Amino acid sequence: MEMTGAELIRGLALLGAGICMGIGAIGPGVGEGYAAGKACEAIGRKPEEAGLLTRTMLVGQAVSESTGIYSLVVALLLMFVVK
Amino acid sequence: MDEIGKISVWATDIGGLHLVFNRTTITMTLWVMGILILFALLASRNKGLIPNPLQVVAELFVGIFWGLTRDALEEDMAKTYFPLICTLFMFLLLCNWIGVVPFMDEPTKDLNTTLGLGLMGFFIAHYAGIRTKGLKKYVSEYFQPIFFMMPLNVIGELAKVVSISFRLFGNIMGGSIIILVVSHLVYNLLLPPFLYAFFGLFVGTVQAFVFTMLTLVYISVQVK
Repeated sequence: MEMTGAELIRGLALLGAGICMGIGAIGPGVGEGYAAGKACEAIGRKPEEAGLLTRTMLVGQAVSESTGIYSLVVALLLMFVVK
Repeated sequence: MDEIGKISVWATDIGGLHLVFNRTTITMTLWVMGILILFALLASRNKGLIPNPLQVVAELFVGIFWGLTRDALEEDMAKTYFPLICTLFMFLLLCNWIGVVPFMDEPTKDLNTTLGLGLMGFFIAHYAGIRTKGLKKYVSEYFQPIFFMMPLNVIGELAKVVSISFRLFGNIMGGSIIILVVSHLVYNLLLPPFLYAFFGLFVGTVQAFVFTMLTLVYISVQVK
């Protein structure tokens, strides 16, 4: 089976997109889970602060998610822009 | 499914330059601005002690963000920058939510919108820093821990702009692509409303709030 150069590039770009998003999803998952765990501990210690703690947790998780989003953007670029 | 990479544009050639305008983004931004102006007009008529429903919503926005701004900045700076913060949040919230309506796209799906807002926040923060601290102290802060840290500090400032705009763009654009792909895979049965609820409403709210809070934090860091 012959494979042209263009098809090879397309195939490798798709492979790269998969690896990029797959490995890039590990970091934010671990980090945000840790932040959620700390928030649960803090709410357990002081239940009347639950609103402020939840808000702070969500903001911290959204900032920590940003590297996962960068890898999503790279994966989308590889999938839809590399022909 | 095959319209994912396509953007509808108006392209003109004026004076030797090839100008490209993203038609969807401009139209949707005008819709969002129109709805916000309509909301403002309807919320501020017949102001009374017993508020009409839109006035309650507007007072909710103003109350929450005035509290946040006053905690981050001092009193007179807070009064100067509060309209920016509140408008930024309301604009981004409506931008992210308008994608749930059929046949409408979020303007923040385009990197131009988010990068423009990020650069605006960057210039406002640094202008506030220069005006508060004076030019000499502002420049000396880049050399702060030790003088060869200057390139790293400059790159840190530029990275803030990139990160804040790409976070919003990536979340909204990635969310809409995931919705498109998954809806295509399940033949548009049963799952799309929940996807729209999560990616459109929840993520849109959180990301608008994070963008606004980070802009506020960058301004407050520069004026301290």
